[in-house]
Amino acid sequence: MEVDSQEQLQRKQSTYLSLDENFEIQKEVYRGQQYSQIYFARLHMMRTLLYSLVPNWKSHLPVCTVLELEEGKECIIVGTLYKHMKLKPCILDEYSKERSVAPLIKPHNFMHQDDYLVLEDESGRVKLGGTKLSPSVYVTGVVVALHGKETSAGAFFVEDVLEAGLPPQIERPLKSREDKYVVFVSGLSIGSSSSNPLQFQLLVDHITGHLGDEEEQGLAAEIVHLVIVGNSVEISHGLLNGQNLASKDQSRLSEPFKELDILLTQIAASLPLDIMPGSSDPANFALPQQPLNRCLFPGSATYNTFRSCTNPHCFELDSIRFLGTSGQNIDDLTKYSEAKDKLDFLERTLRWRHLAPTAPNTLGCYPFTDRDPFLIDSCPDVYFVGNQEKYETRLLKGLEGQLVRLICIPRFCETGVAVVLNMRNLECHALTFGTQISS
Amino acid sequence: MSQIETLGILEEIQALVSDKLQVVSYKWLSRNFLVSSNVAKRLLAEFVEKHGSGLEVVYSLSGWLKNSPSNYHIQLVTGPKLSEAKQVYDGNCRVHVYSVQACIPKDLAALWNTEFIQAEELFKQPTSVDNCLRDNRFCGISNSFVKRNVDGTPAKVATAQPNSVGISGLSIHNSAQFSAPLPSQQNKVQQSSSKVAQKPPIVVKGIKSDSISGGVHDLATKPSADKEKNTSFPSNKKKGQNDKGSTGNGGSLANFWDRASAKPKTCSVPADNIDSIQNSNDAQISACEAVEHENSDIDAQEVNFGRASNSEGNRKRRVVLDLSDEDEYEDAVNLASPDPPKRKSFLGSIQNSKTSVPERPDVDKPDKDEVTVKEERTANREPNRSLGEETSLGSKSTNGKNSSSVKLESQLPETDLKKDKVTDASPNSPKRRKVLKTRIDDRGREVTEVVWEGEETEVKKVESDVPKKAGSGATNATTNTVANTNSRYAVGTTAPSNPGVKTGNKKAGNAKDPKQGNILSFFKKV
Repeated sequence: MEVDSQEQLQRKQSTYLSLDENFEIQKEVYRGQQYSQIYFARLHMMRTLLYSLVPNWKSHLPVCTVLELEEGKECIIVGTLYKHMKLKPCILDEYSKERSVAPLIKPHNFMHQDDYLVLEDESGRVKLGGTKLSPSVYVTGVVVALHGKETSAGAFFVEDVLEAGLPPQIERPLKSREDKYVVFVSGLSIGSSSSNPLQFQLLVDHITGHLGDEEEQGLAAEIVHLVIVGNSVEISHGLLNGQNLASKDQSRLSEPFKELDILLTQIAASLPLDIMPGSSDPANFALPQQPLNRCLFPGSATYNTFRSCTNPHCFELDSIRFLGTSGQNIDDLTKYSEAKDKLDFLERTLRWRHLAPTAPNTLGCYPFTDRDPFLIDSCPDVYFVGNQEKYETRLLKGLEGQLVRLICIPRFCETGVAVVLNMRNLECHALTFGTQISS
Repeated sequence: MSQIETLGILEEIQALVSDKLQVVSYKWLSRNFLVSSNVAKRLLAEFVEKHGSGLEVVYSLSGWLKNSPSNYHIQLVTGPKLSEAKQVYDGNCRVHVYSVQACIPKDLAALWNTEFIQAEELFKQPTSVDNCLRDNRFCGISNSFVKRNVDGTPAKVATAQPNSVGISGLSIHNSAQFSAPLPSQQNKVQQSSSKVAQKPPIVVKGIKSDSISGGVHDLATKPSADKEKNTSFPSNKKKGQNDKGSTGNGGSLANFWDRASAKPKTCSVPADNIDSIQNSNDAQISACEAVEHENSDIDAQEVNFGRASNSEGNRKRRVVLDLSDEDEYEDAVNLASPDPPKRKSFLGSIQNSKTSVPERPDVDKPDKDEVTVKEERTANREPNRSLGEETSLGSKSTNGKNSSSVKLESQLPETDLKKDKVTDASPNSPKRRKVLKTRIDDRGREVTEVVWEGEETEVKKVESDVPKKAGSGATNATTNTVANTNSRYAVGTTAPSNPGVKTGNKKAGNAKDPKQGNILSFFKKV
């Protein structure tokens, strides 16, 4: 909204609804259980869903479990995929190889051409053959329906694959909305040597309305929300090696947080802010990561605009549903499968209706007993992932008319790029900051 | 802005940039001279016009990029490169002066330092101050929906905790020392309390120096020591609560305790004594503080002032804090609990002291009310409080958990009441007290443990606290843990008299079991 330059601009607001309850583990009780229950919950939910979709796909074929397979009989089986990977790091390797030879696990891709897929349900497992199902695309933990028949070798020859597809999307009421912007930024890495505090300060100044002339501040007044998507601080690993710290080192531990808190105070004093934990933040390792403790932000936690959120994070702004993670799920997919770009991974997770299919196989996860919180029931309008290499975005259209904006948010400390989304039309643009003298 | 003001500011900028070689950014300017950012930018632009020669100027450019149309680019450029930088923008880009400095640092991030130091100073101001950093008043966009909680936020509690922990640790230590004294001291306390009530600061001071530093033994020798002991615990509690209640005092209190542990704790005690004794008599308190000030650090004085200012209202909080801390040192604190007969004698002495201190009567009633109120409030923390109270109250039978005893005491003369007030945390404590018992355990060690004697009305509260405390872990590991374990075993032997401790300890023990897992779960059907 345009306001006379003499009057002070008013910041726009939007209604916020947090849907993070699914990702909180306060009510969970750990009784020493392992992961079979979360896999079973996943299989059960997805199988029910796939059973309802199978009649639309191939209604003439019978559906059976793995143990009921008969040789030569065409049928449909539903189960969880398991990908056997030759290069997948195994904890036993540390003990079998000699110490000097054992290489460090590097975060590169563990794929190998000999990888094969296995379908598993609660009755049994069967190796999958055929060319329809490409092991490079799928990962362990995805639940699919397969059409094929058992071969004489005991494997299941796959003729067709049915994924769950995009979940249904709640219809957004079409109203002529004004331009309201949401800013995403991730990978601030305050405390690391590569972070440029001036860049982040410029971002803060722009969003809070200090920078620029009245026209630019008018643009900034239309920003209604800021989401910090993980990896806000980076503590140098030398301090985290378990040794007792000297008192001078202890201040080095807390300095990044103080700096972040001062900056967040400046932001929280202006607009609502969500901060998500990331892989380098002081939150728990296993997904879903719990919100960063408010005591880390003594200054900014006092504001009603400050919200510490889980990772993954799901919320609604003006009834537009946002869903996103700090990047661990997509990074894990990158290690165990391949795709043209990260947006493809995002799309796949939506089609598989599961945020993090590799959890708990290769991604740390809490052993839930009665549910799998990463299942996506309702299609979000905006699906984002943080801490990626570059800014990418795509508008995904589903078969039933779903419209999803996929966003890859780059690491701010490396690129100086934040992402701005217009809630009116789901369009994105980048907000870049440069502080090079030579510019 | 008026011309004169503008000129004044421009001159100041000139001085800062040329003489002090400081980077003057528009934000720094706005916060320093309390003008809005837009005005600051205009000022800087004016400055550059008039005095800009010889100085480096950094401009901020913002606009849409030509090459990638959906990219809003904001960059900082130095003066010479300004026109070149404008080329990358599609159409008009907005320019304004970002900062003025004598020379451009090699790393542009250094431009940020001055501004950040200023922000840091604003940030470090007490949380109750609403400064321009906290409400962002100088930006161009107003936001009425942002609210900031100043009181009772988790952040505050968190920051106060280190102090309180420190204090509680000390208080527990004190209480441990104080609890060591035996009934005889309690008697003395009673007597001394009456004396203290009569005598102003000087007596207290003396007591202070004696009791705290000396510990148990000293207390025994000084009649006033008990009183100090009693008051010291309340004072400890007060301090802890002061920390919670007043963030300003927190640091000083923590420092105070750190030093107090080194020095005689009399400094704190006398102040407490004074507070408790004279309660409403600020003059005496300040006199005491003055006296103490001679003896103690400024920190102590700050603490005293804090205590004086947070007189009755904070007592409740203080009590709560102390008790919670004392829970961890339950065994140590328990030693202070008086025996029943002594309690009676103490009561008797309190009666005497009541008559002897006519000025107190008006205080009694408020104390009673306070006591009862405190009891209600501190209901959750009874075990802790009882520990503290017991030590402070000395002979008082209420081991914090005895609400009835507390109320009884509240009827007593001021000194006792004061003690009750301070320690009143134990609202619903059952008539039980911790008694020190020594025995030889099965491993041949001589074990001194605190066991409960008396009623079990407050069992629940004890239990609730004990697991907490057990979980939080005793800092004085060796003695406390030994005492803890011993008391657990001792509970069995001393059977009915220590229901609270026993159940409490058991509860602590049981609390750990689920985490260890049940072997039967292996056989359960998944």
